[in-house]
Amino acid sequence: MKNYDLLLLANKNLWRRKGRTVLTVLGVIIGTASIVVMLSLGIGLVESQKKQMSQWGSLNIIRVQQSWDFPGQEDGQQKRLTDEAIAEIREIEGVTAVSPAIEVGGEASFGKKMGHIMLVGLEPALMEQLEFSVSHGRLLNQDDRFNVVAGSQVINNFWDPRQRSNPWNWEEPPQGDSLELLNKRISLSLYNNKQQKRIYSLNVVGILSEKTMEHSWYVYAPISELKKMREFTNQGRQEEVYFQEYMEKDPGGRSSSSSARAKKEEQYSFALVRTNDVADTRRISRQLRDSGYNAYSIADNLEGIEEAARRFQAILGGIGAITLLVAAIGITNTMVMSIYERTREIAIMKVIGASFREIRWLFLTESSLIGLLGGFFGLGLSFALSSLLNHYGSSFVNPGGMMPGQEAIQISVIPLWLVGFALLFSIGIGLIAGIYPANRAINLDPITAMRHG
Amino acid sequence: MAILELKNIVKKYRIGNEIITALDGVDLAVEAGEFIVILGTSGCGKTTLLNIAAGLEKPTRGEVVFRGVTISKLKEKKTVMFRRKQMGFIFQSYNLLPALTAQENVALPLVFDGVKPRERVLRSVKMLKQVGLMERREHKPSQMSGGQQQRVSIARALINNPRIIFADEPTGNLDTRTTLDIMGQLQRAVKENGQTLVMVTHDQEVAEFADRIIYMVDGRIVEEKQGGTHL
Ligand SMILES: Nc1ncnc2c1ncn2[C@@H]1O[C@H](COP(=O)(O)OP(=O)(O)OP(=O)(O)O)[C@@H](O)[C@H]1O
Ligand SMILES: [Mg+2]
Repeated sequence: MKNYDLLLLANKNLWRRKGRTVLTVLGVIIGTASIVVMLSLGIGLVESQKKQMSQWGSLNIIRVQQSWDFPGQEDGQQKRLTDEAIAEIREIEGVTAVSPAIEVGGEASFGKKMGHIMLVGLEPALMEQLEFSVSHGRLLNQDDRFNVVAGSQVINNFWDPRQRSNPWNWEEPPQGDSLELLNKRISLSLYNNKQQKRIYSLNVVGILSEKTMEHSWYVYAPISELKKMREFTNQGRQEEVYFQEYMEKDPGGRSSSSSARAKKEEQYSFALVRTNDVADTRRISRQLRDSGYNAYSIADNLEGIEEAARRFQAILGGIGAITLLVAAIGITNTMVMSIYERTREIAIMKVIGASFREIRWLFLTESSLIGLLGGFFGLGLSFALSSLLNHYGSSFVNPGGMMPGQEAIQISVIPLWLVGFALLFSIGIGLIAGIYPANRAINLDPITAMRHG
Repeated sequence: MAILELKNIVKKYRIGNEIITALDGVDLAVEAGEFIVILGTSGCGKTTLLNIAAGLEKPTRGEVVFRGVTISKLKEKKTVMFRRKQMGFIFQSYNLLPALTAQENVALPLVFDGVKPRERVLRSVKMLKQVGLMERREHKPSQMSGGQQQRVSIARALINNPRIIFADEPTGNLDTRTTLDIMGQLQRAVKENGQTLVMVTHDQEVAEFADRIIYMVDGRIVEEKQGGTHL
């Protein structure tokens, strides 16, 4: 028997009892819709959390710091962020870019305003890859020296001393216009431990967009200049003397004090690692922590959220599954009734040459068709319910309305894979529900059926 | 050469503690091209004999040999291929599928045999013409008379060009005029193609069409007679 004949015959049989078939399909529609809508709520939860997290920062960036030094710790146990370490991290699979970073902070002035800034040195050419983006001006490039890019909140670090208002007035938080800084100069004063002072004049060539909050309070500059600045501030540093003494006193200390100092000098404040995707971020972040770094990524939080969502989905999916189970029992019942009515017919088909296989598949096809129809229209219902939920439910999850330009948070999200899954699942349910009736049909004795039919 | 041989067939049914002997040692050889009628009173085992001969039921004892193959020993899976390709069936109660049209019913054995739709249409049209029901081809069984339904079932039995046709009281539900009509058609078709026909009846008049008449009483063959008065 050809497959299309099987399908045509099954379809024809299905519509002999229209009312019953429609009711059975309706059961599957409700079952499918309840599973899909329930799962879509869980997916919507994860998606909205992801969206919120990506407002705090990129999900593809890992921030790596060396673990804290403490006396008594064996040298080599703690990972130091040296050029060597940076090169090592760059080799990890899934890492697309690594930039070491040096932080230096100091008093600053801008026009007549006073304040302070945190200056962060990065590889200027890597800024774009590290997901920096400007709202105005441009990012740094290879040739920049004292050109900088300022975060969107940096302007709020400055205040006008001539105005009476207190800069730390909590009732009225300062709200400067970050554009004020663009193409202006910031003077940064640095002191070393010998009380010498140097003034750097920094030219602001770009303002970072507000998309990522983690960058908004910093000023970014080329790392080559930051190295020189740090060299200056470290001159005559007390800590260095202590460090030197400590290394000399330590009986187990294998490294000489001078090499230790050299090591200390070439270390970086932190490093930014760019990865391919969220999954890589989580894997590499864990890997770096395991090998002794302080690695942190916003994506790390996803784990907990996804775990919670999974549990949420399992409960909701379970409720949906029960509905679908009831629908499956409905299919089985319909098929058994149909076989009971068609006993004689099945016997005739057997006598004139239908094999067990064909009889079985005829009934399995009928029950799968019920599943498919239920799945198809169930998905239609799901999309309708989903858009209703998103329309009327948005006031619950977006209290106080939406900010202009902000994307609405979707309560219910039906991704393409869920569509495919729902269709296959409902067909599968139909198929499974048909097994028992189909076996009944093939076990029918044609002779007895024809005698008493 | 015998196309079908029944060798000492015994069939017993058990109902509760009682054992009913439906067939009690039947020996019969059916020659190729022969038209055999089995006559006997109700309950003497005619239908049982036919079912066993067609491989639909297994005998309690004895063998059924069809074209050299002992089909009484084969599994259901194998006998279905014999029925599909080499046997045709006609029943007293027509046994058409109610959901299918006349033409679809006629073509059904070809569907199971995997014949392509185009060829099925050609062959079923030819069969419907042969039984004179072309104008009824779109009708469902419920829209046809008993005689018309039986002609559809004859067309269905013949469409796969079987070697042997088993007919269980095909005229049992029909009036005399229709019976003669149907018997004429069946006999003509079978003789034209050199097919073998084994028919059960308790109608003496129908038996007159046969080459050979077998008389059964209580599960045994008691008498044989050469027929052929209608030829
Ligand atoms: N499945 C069965 N179980 C029990 N007894 C059966 C079964 N099939 C047939 N019999 C018995 O076997 C005997 C022969 O039955 P069969 O149907 O072959 O008779 P028949 O000659 O065809 O009668 P009729 O002319 O009325 O059709 C009967 O006594 C019947 O009751
Ligand atoms: Mg009978």
